[in-house]
This record gives sequence, C-alpha cells and structure tokens, in this order.
Amino acid sequence: MEISHSVKERTIAENSLVILLQGIHGYVTTVDLRDESTALGRITNVDAFMNIRLAEVTFTDRQGRVSQLDDLFVTGRNVRYVHIPDEVDIKATVEKQLQLIHKVRYFGGRDKGRKEFPTARHK
Amino acid sequence: MSFLKRFPPPAEGIRQQQPDTEAVLGGRGLGTGTLYIAESRLSWLDKSGLGFSLDYPTISLHAVSRDLNAYPWEHLYVMVNAKFEEEETKETPMAEGEEEEDSDDDDIEPIAEFRFVPSDKSALEAMFSAMCECQALHPDPDDEDSDNDYEGEEYDVEAHEQGQGDIPSFYTYEEGLSHLTAEGQATLERLEGMLAQSVSSQYNMAGVRTEDSVREFEDGMEVDTTPVVAGQFEDAEVDH
Repeated sequence: MEISHSVKERTIAENSLVILLQGIHGYVTTVDLRDESTALGRITNVDAFMNIRLAEVTFTDRQGRVSQLDDLFVTGRNVRYVHIPDEVDIKATVEKQLQLIHKVRYFGGRDKGRKEFPTARHK
Repeated sequence: MSFLKRFPPPAEGIRQQQPDTEAVLGGRGLGTGTLYIAESRLSWLDKSGLGFSLDYPTISLHAVSRDLNAYPWEHLYVMVNAKFEEEETKETPMAEGEEEEDSDDDDIEPIAEFRFVPSDKSALEAMFSAMCECQALHPDPDDEDSDNDYEGEEYDVEAHEQGQGDIPSFYTYEEGLSHLTAEGQATLERLEGMLAQSVSSQYNMAGVRTEDSVREFEDGMEVDTTPVVAGQFEDAEVDH
C-alpha cells in the first residue's frame, strides 16, 4: 500500500474518498467509465486525482465489444463508479490508509525524519 | 486526412520516443512514424513530417493491448475525447448494419480511438508507463466534485507548503522575534501560553512544545504543526 510521495496528493487523499480506492490496491473489481464502458481488472494504483491503473483487464466498450487489455490507465475524470468488492471492510480500509499517511507524516517523531511542515532549520 | 499537420517534434520533456510506430485512427492506418510521449502532449509524426498531437486532458484512457483477437497486433490503445476526421470503414461505430444503441452518446461524447503499433513490441510497457506519468501531470482542471481549496485553519498546511518554495516564509526564532510588531509579540506570548497550558494539562502529545521543552529546542515558532485552538486535533490519532 504505497503512500504518495507528494504532500499535496496525501492531503487530497486524506480529505476525500479516493483514500478508500487507494486502500483496495490489488483487488480485482469493475470500474464503470463515464462513457458506459466497463473495465474489470486488478487495481494496481489509484492516485489523488482518481486516475486508476488496472492490470489484466477485461474491457467492454460502450458498444458491448469485449477485449483483453494487459494494462489500463483511466483518467479520474472518466471514472463513473468503482465497484468496491464485497469482502472489503470500507471503514477499516479508510482508517488503515489514514494511519499510513500519518506514519509518513510523523516518521521518526516530530523532530526527525521527513518534515512535512518544515521549519527554519530546514531552510 | 486533413487533420494531419506539419510541425517540429517536441523539443523537451520527452519521456519516451518510439520510432517505427504505426498510427491507426479508428479503422484507418495513418502510416509509420515516430511517437513522442512528451510531458506537454502526445505527438506522432510520419516520415514526411506530417502528424498530429493529442493533449493529455483530452485523453480518456490508454492501455496496452495484446489481445490478438481484438486487434491483430500488440499496440498502445489511446481513447480520446474529441472528434477526428476519418473515413468510414466497417469498424467505425456509425457504419451501417450495426446497431446504434448509443447514437445519442456519440453526439454528446465524441470518441476517437487511436492505436500505436510499435515495431518493437517490448517497448509497449515503457510507452504505457511514460503515458501514465505524463497523464498524472495534467490533472483535470474541471474537477468540480473534489474540493481542493481546503479553506479553514485546519488546512492551512497547503498554504504553508506552497509558501515553502523559493521564498523563505519561515524565520528562526531570533529573526522572527525581531520582525514581530508589538501586537505580534503579544499574540505570540498569548498563543504560547495557551498552548503550554492546555496541552500539558490534557495529555502528553508527542513533540508538542511546552514551557519546559521550549528551552531544549531553539525555534518556538513552529506554530504550524501545533493547533492554534487547543483541542482542534483532539480526535487525531497521535499514539502510533
């Protein structure tokens, strides 16, 4: 469960349900697109802008034609729904992701490690 | 194909350049040329210098297709949210004989399907990744749903981050003190007092400066990590 290296992306994720999608990396599920095509595959990455990367995808286009795609990247703008697998505990997933973000932010304690909010010392 | 134009290839920010790549729009081949996956846009130019560019915000999705049943060659598939001129062939959605279930959609949502077929199949993953990276550089400006403004004290972290670029917006304790007006000084004292009082009495929050710890650390100006209003982050998980 890789947390973004970008402070901005972490902040965005922390404040939206994208954080839930980031918690289901590795699950196989269906993404419904805005143009009514669907992509069924394994989620390999979701970024703060809800761009979704899927692997081993069965893609059904809006005409109903089915094809296999090895790797698919959908822009967040074009995502309509992401089906959350039944076995996923949504609340627990969100909490776990938040914890991971906080771990990164406060790594090594307040005064050591990566500084999220730098002080004069790190000018 | 009147949408093909002559232009120089991108000069900078090229993440992947793939020569000997055929471009196909819908059902029609456009010839063989070089695909430039640059940070600013996706460009393809044939040997005579004619080609086209696609802006990342118009690209809905892209994928690596190795399904030879769907298309006879392994390729990079790119779906674009725009209309491009193309001759009608059997494969285009508007061809006769095919059911047009989504004919209304075609008006609202123009779709163009590009395929880039490199002669070097092994380059497909790199091409795909390069495109993912470039797409990430172009977040949707029309995104109304997600509130990225983050107004309010709690989210002032954004303002701090933006301020941290080239312009030093932080002072050392001594420097800062000398820049304070009388009012600023009074505010500082009040805040530090409030902080020391409320926080040390509640519970020991990791790393929070109290009267005692201030002597250990030089800069007492680190107000951006501590709540201005005591108890603001009460519900935050501090004990990891």
